[in-house]
Amino acid sequence: MTLQFIADGLISGSLIGLGAIGITLTYSILRFSNFAHGDLMAWGAYGTLAVVGGIGEVVGGAAPIGALSFGWPLILAALAGMVMTACLALLLDWLLFARLREKGQSIIVVMASFGASMALRSLLEFIFSSSPAYYSRGIQMAMPIGFGIRITPDQIVLLGVTVVLVTAMHLFMSRSQTGREMRAYSQNPALARVVGIDVSGVVRATWIIGAALACAAGVMVGILVQIRPLMGLDLLLPMFAAAILGGIGSVPGAVLGGLIIGLSEAAAVQLIGAEWRSAVAFGILMAVLLVRPVGLFGRAER
Amino acid sequence: MSILQVKGLVAGYEPGLSIVKGASIQADEREIVVILGPNGAGKSSLIKAVAGLVPVTGGQVLLDGRDITHGAAHLRVRQGLAFVPQTENIFPLMTVDENLRVAGGVLARCEVQGRIDETYVMFPDLARQRRLAAGSLSGGQRQMLAVGRALIVHPRVLMLDEPSAGLSPKFVEMVFARLGEIRRAGLTIVLVEQNARAALAIGDRAYVLVEGREAHEGRAATLWDDPVVAELYLGQRRSA
Repeated sequence: MTLQFIADGLISGSLIGLGAIGITLTYSILRFSNFAHGDLMAWGAYGTLAVVGGIGEVVGGAAPIGALSFGWPLILAALAGMVMTACLALLLDWLLFARLREKGQSIIVVMASFGASMALRSLLEFIFSSSPAYYSRGIQMAMPIGFGIRITPDQIVLLGVTVVLVTAMHLFMSRSQTGREMRAYSQNPALARVVGIDVSGVVRATWIIGAALACAAGVMVGILVQIRPLMGLDLLLPMFAAAILGGIGSVPGAVLGGLIIGLSEAAAVQLIGAEWRSAVAFGILMAVLLVRPVGLFGRAER
Repeated sequence: MSILQVKGLVAGYEPGLSIVKGASIQADEREIVVILGPNGAGKSSLIKAVAGLVPVTGGQVLLDGRDITHGAAHLRVRQGLAFVPQTENIFPLMTVDENLRVAGGVLARCEVQGRIDETYVMFPDLARQRRLAAGSLSGGQRQMLAVGRALIVHPRVLMLDEPSAGLSPKFVEMVFARLGEIRRAGLTIVLVEQNARAALAIGDRAYVLVEGREAHEGRAATLWDDPVVAELYLGQRRSA
């Protein structure tokens, strides 16, 4: 047995964790399980691909940065992709979710998110086809880092990017006024209104942050694996498992939950076979719901 | 001069099912107005409707002459109307300091710390526990935090829903003493209270609400002995 699963698990876990942040925020603030969140991830990845293509058309191909498989155009395109995905999420909310939320039945909003998910996925297949796409076709050599673990330069950099994004997110939620307002609203929406919090601002911030991080995760999946219309759907169960394992509403919890799911999946692949990979997230999800429904960082309100 | 006028307010949670049925009250500057009434009279619903938490289907709410009847709840706070709910009036998973700071979004950024420091001077207990989760505070301390947070935004009118509910007599005395101080600092207070004797002791005027509308109004000092009020509401309590 090698320890390679640790590196593989940390990398896939950090992607799951980034996606789970949006799910946990949507669940705790907007009070519904957004099953279209994975498709925002896929749209972010494809939006970024389109912008990279556009930049390539205008300025020509750019050389990769150092040992990485991608260059500056992808970084710029990912930032543009985050903005576009946030706009898409706001549009979805305006067209669909906000109208249904007003009716006050969260199950209708959840069912609408299923519909939105299918529509978004089909649209991607219609526009880009269901064939896999890549940001780069270059092959990276994995470097040995000891203990029998090998890791590529892309993987190292993307792990660093994840750490930066998660730290920034944690500081935003704990130190900024908007972050405090989002936490306050998730605890008690009616009280939040009477302390002067603008609910529409909180809703906007939730969509923007969740969608931008989903895009970041989607681009990372695109860099490390490939881009497919189904990429978000494949990650949906692990992301929900991570959000619930970490405790709904907790950003550090979502990330830690993602890492635990990622490591467990990678260990399962190595120990009992790749066909059991998906079952691990489901098993963890069931165990958490039965043993500690509030998750690792969730607390029952007093 | 009246700073808060409620004219014929009709409000309720469900369409066609009004709880507040044409209530009219007013509060003058630097006045403590007490709203009394039997259980189910619609007292809490009335001030929640004034705060923007219960849908209004008729009547008017004027704050300093401006119609705020259909304004969003958070805008009413910005216009100077603060409300302290009876229960669940703090954010339990946030620290005491964060509870105060989150209400400061209405203020200019440079003003927030000064207002928080003033709150800690007024409620020294809170200053000592500023880094604790608000959910770990005692009932009385929670009430102080809720009042302190409402005052952060420099309101002109402070509305409280049964601030003495569930508190020990010592804390009830402390809460009402603080309300007296707040009024002396220039605020108007509208107080819904079941503890009629304590509320009337600090109030200037009082309304008795019965079945969703005001049935009687009078000076707080004399209301206790008013036979009409005794018949409407206080009779059972006083004979008890």
